[in-house]
Amino acid sequence: MFQLNLVKYRFVCLAMSAVLLLPGIVAMIYSSITYPTHSPLKVGIDYTGGTVLQYGVNDEVSDLGVIRKDLAKADVENPYLQIINANSESAMKIKSIISIKTKFIDEKNNKEVDKITGVIQKIYPEAQLLQVSSVGPTLGKELFKNSLIALGLAILGIIAYLSIRFQFDYALAAILGLIHDVLFTLGVFSILGLVNDVQIDGLFVTALLTVIGFSVHDTIVIFDRIRENIRYYSKKMSFSEIVNFSVNQTLTRSINTSVTTLITLLALFFLGGTTTKDFVLAMIVGIMIGTYSSIFFCTVLVDIWQEKKIAQRGVKAGVKV
Amino acid sequence: MKNKIILFWIIVAIAITSVVVIMKKPTKLGLDLVGGSRLVLEAQTTDTIAKITPDMMESLLFAIENRVNGLGIAETVVQRSGERRLVVEIPDVSDLNKAKEFIGDTAELEFKREITKNGVPTGWSTTGLTGKDLSKANLSTNSQNGEWVVELEFNNEGTRKFANLTKELVGQPMAIFFNGDLQSAPVIREVIPNGRAQISGGDNGFAYDEAKRMVDLLNAGALPVPAEIIEENTVGPTLGADSIEKSKIAGMIGLGLVMLFMLVYYRAMGLIADIALCLYAIILFAIFKLFGVTLTLAGIAGFILSVGMAVDANILIFERTKEELRQGRTLFTAINAGFDRAFTSIFDSNMTTIITCVILYVLGTSVVKGFALTLALGVIVSMFSAITITRNFMYLAFGTGELKHPAMFGLSAKEIGKAHQVVETKRENAKFGILD
Repeated sequence: MFQLNLVKYRFVCLAMSAVLLLPGIVAMIYSSITYPTHSPLKVGIDYTGGTVLQYGVNDEVSDLGVIRKDLAKADVENPYLQIINANSESAMKIKSIISIKTKFIDEKNNKEVDKITGVIQKIYPEAQLLQVSSVGPTLGKELFKNSLIALGLAILGIIAYLSIRFQFDYALAAILGLIHDVLFTLGVFSILGLVNDVQIDGLFVTALLTVIGFSVHDTIVIFDRIRENIRYYSKKMSFSEIVNFSVNQTLTRSINTSVTTLITLLALFFLGGTTTKDFVLAMIVGIMIGTYSSIFFCTVLVDIWQEKKIAQRGVKAGVKV
Repeated sequence: MKNKIILFWIIVAIAITSVVVIMKKPTKLGLDLVGGSRLVLEAQTTDTIAKITPDMMESLLFAIENRVNGLGIAETVVQRSGERRLVVEIPDVSDLNKAKEFIGDTAELEFKREITKNGVPTGWSTTGLTGKDLSKANLSTNSQNGEWVVELEFNNEGTRKFANLTKELVGQPMAIFFNGDLQSAPVIREVIPNGRAQISGGDNGFAYDEAKRMVDLLNAGALPVPAEIIEENTVGPTLGADSIEKSKIAGMIGLGLVMLFMLVYYRAMGLIADIALCLYAIILFAIFKLFGVTLTLAGIAGFILSVGMAVDANILIFERTKEELRQGRTLFTAINAGFDRAFTSIFDSNMTTIITCVILYVLGTSVVKGFALTLALGVIVSMFSAITITRNFMYLAFGTGELKHPAMFGLSAKEIGKAHQVVETKRENAKFGILD
């Protein structure tokens, strides 16, 4: 396999990370300013509350204007419309899915659903109601709180675990790598939210957590190897050389593992149902950036800090390094 | 060697049992795959009820269960969820709106007496006779005009109360309220000692549906507290079946591609990993069926993801083994060393995944729970599969001496040469007293 020389290009690696993260961060700031909810990503009904009705239609729908007008005539308040294109080889012969989001329809207003179905069926007679999702507003807030708690607990748990297994600066590098990956994934989905109307739901947070677990795992394998090599080779090689050496040793394994996981995820993305598409996409993005950060980001950090440490020690001991 | 052969046959036995379990036990499919509705009901405090107690939740659970059973649909589920919530799962419901209204209906039956002020009727006051005093409600027809009526039979206490009330109210109207709406207010002509009454549908009489609904609700029992639907997820059956089909295809193609990749990159070892992977999938699926794990769409995604991750343990071991081979060790030693060194990494990495799965399971919604459970089970079984199955197969295949050539592990010709060189150099050095 090709040999990487990380150490020589340390600052290039850090620069690459900055380049990768920047568009996402810009998108998130932009979203926070322009969205009415001031959130950095487009949020779905799991957190805002509301009702989403999905209708399957046998034709390709491209223009929502007619539907919007008719819904307004039927007194449906401010619906948010989206077209999802279903896989064309689908057994149901459905080419498009029209997704209508309204405020929460509770059971006292059940007729709203029938009303909307009526409007859609007037335009597309063979439309079928595929899915109804409703989340009450208080429940939405609660789910959001729970998701944040879950993320917080996961990060704390991993910090605790890393601190036990590794010394401080390794643990810190791994955690920064984790934050790097989360930021990147959030950034990508912020951009997708602005461009493609992709919304965040409970499954997105699930994907995020899975990605965190996976990325830390990758980083641990590399750090394990660095630690082991230090034991055997610290007399012969400088720290930076050991880092380089370790990364190259584990490179094949890191890439291959990500490849196999990505193969299954890509199969799910292209061939699986539309309901889990965004979820799978989040995992694909997360795993790719997780592998990248383990190889190019965390290791480089450890190397830079170690050098600083040696320099400081040298100065303390009065020796010029 | 004998132990290893015994282990091999144990593995084969487990595999065959798994296949049998898969074929015989039905798969529990979540509502998003079968089609159906999942409702979350939350008990609401009212002016009269300030706090929801566990007792209230129990009787609410009971009442809702009765109603859901009254819908006559198979395989419904009603469960407590947290302090004040119930989860109701109804597969395959044809008229969801009616079902939702039926379930959430408070169904309070009250008998009230008239209040008069200076002889003018001004309102109604409660008498304490309510639906709780009923033992049964029946659908019947009025013998005189053929209209549908609801026949009430009071229980012992209710009969007594009713007798007293009718004695008190002879010559006066007694109003029957259902859910706060006045149904009828017949004038009591005489004492009714036998605890039977009839509710007729006002001026036009009840329609069949109306009367039947009231009978069902009364028999199911009034809700002790009002309950509101705060979350709903309904999936039509066509979407569900389609999702299953798509997931099956995605899973098989994913598995197939991963197996191909392993074969191409790791050759003979790859073949062993592939067989272990298939066994892993079969055993995991059998475990799902044995424990009655409900498969949702996200759960299936977790299953497929865990297949991709399961290969990771194998890859860790193989890469380690290859390295040991490059160092010039013999096959057997290399395999041993590969497993030992890789184990701590495998354990650590799977630990972090399991930590996140536990958190997801505790804090997530039911969809998330399904994913967390399948992923966690997948990770645990994959550890077992890599360490037991892969190792056993590798010993058996390579230990016999037939397949000893390092090239089978994917080492290129250049690398094999180097390995020999390394061994040579070590021996040379050792001669000169330099030990590595």
